[in-house]
Amino acid sequence: MLTAVVTRGAQIEVSFVTAEEGEGEHSIDCEFPVKDEQGHETGVCDTGPSPIAPEMKEVAWGAGAFIVMALLMRFFLYPRLKKGMDARYALIRGGHEQADAARASARAEVAEYESALATVKAEANDRVEAARQILEAERTARLTDVNADIAAKRDAANAEAAAAREAVRSDIAAAVVDVTSRTIELSIGRVPDASPIRSAVDEAMSAGVAQ
Amino acid sequence: MLALEFPPINEILRWKDLFPTFNKVALIGVAAALIAIVIFLLASNQDGLKAPKGVRNLAETIVEFIEEQIIMPTMGRQGLGWTPFLLSLFVFIYLCNVPGIIPIIYMPATARIAIPLVLSLLVWVVFIGVGFKHQGISYIKNSLFPPGVPGPLYILVAPIEFISTFLVRPFSLTVRLFANMLAGHILLVTFALLTEELVQGDSWILKPVGVLPFFMLMFITGFEVLVGFLQAYIFTILASVYIGGAAHPEH
Repeated sequence: MLTAVVTRGAQIEVSFVTAEEGEGEHSIDCEFPVKDEQGHETGVCDTGPSPIAPEMKEVAWGAGAFIVMALLMRFFLYPRLKKGMDARYALIRGGHEQADAARASARAEVAEYESALATVKAEANDRVEAARQILEAERTARLTDVNADIAAKRDAANAEAAAAREAVRSDIAAAVVDVTSRTIELSIGRVPDASPIRSAVDEAMSAGVAQ
Repeated sequence: MLALEFPPINEILRWKDLFPTFNKVALIGVAAALIAIVIFLLASNQDGLKAPKGVRNLAETIVEFIEEQIIMPTMGRQGLGWTPFLLSLFVFIYLCNVPGIIPIIYMPATARIAIPLVLSLLVWVVFIGVGFKHQGISYIKNSLFPPGVPGPLYILVAPIEFISTFLVRPFSLTVRLFANMLAGHILLVTFALLTEELVQGDSWILKPVGVLPFFMLMFITGFEVLVGFLQAYIFTILASVYIGGAAHPEH
């Protein structure tokens, strides 16, 4: 049966031995040998102070090291470090405050701009509306004028056309009377009375116009 | 069946003196203080107005950790004056703990009782001093006779408060730090030795088994990083609580 045994010495060693071999002492080299008055090793190992008993040299060096460090930290290292940190924080805080002020100022300017823009827009709308109304009135007036002008021109044109038509009609009637009179004259050998011919032609033309 | 006969604790904790009155624990303690001083000296020499980087970033992170995570929750803003002391305490303990996982050194100075005891006694002296400074002689009365307790119960409460406040606090601070670091150190030694023997031993059957303690060794090494930090934090925050309680008993 194997048993792990840690042997004690200058270097800690562990080895597996049988249970039977494992009985007894395994101490080989001794790092802290007990010496006699002549300084010779007695072959007995010094087990040292209790592990829970503080050694004065460790207490003294530990306390000394810590106290020196704590004092340096208190009066020199920490204040310098903290001073730099505070300065940077103040700088950052100042930057933040400046940024906040700039943001507030920008917001105020934006509000002012938007207010001005709204005013201008309202004014522009008013002007546009006024202009629109003026234009509408002018358009209506001009339209009326133009319509009146057109109506007048139309009436004039109609009158002119009627006059021309009447003139043409008279010419045609005269020509037809002449032709008819000449035809009758050639037929009967004498010049007929123009009045009945003229009446008949007028009647026929009037009937044609009516149709 | 396998069994492990472990050497006395002194075998894994005791070291020959580097020179008279100066052993490895003393060396680690001095080195911890020097490293902290150098770090903060380098940090404080850098321009504080620029964005912190490197060693200054590290130092400022530690300072902010102490202020925000230890002092503010326990003492409030009026406790910020204790930052240098608590900062020193935290950094010193952490730098004494960390060598437990650094190759070659492999020894947390706090696995010996001396440094935890020194620091605990220092904290004890400080918080009692703060109590007397802020409350005068009433500190004793306020500590032993907390308000709101029926009169006859003070016969029981006063001795308990005396023991818990003036005796147990430094003792518990010492033992908590020392025992945790010692236990971690013993675990590391145990699994390192087991790994070595199993892997380098004669038995081919046991060689693969050596992987198991090796993995445990790796895990515990990582765990000790956390334990080292946690113990430094616990010690510091308890010191802060004790000082804050002595300065402002109403808290």
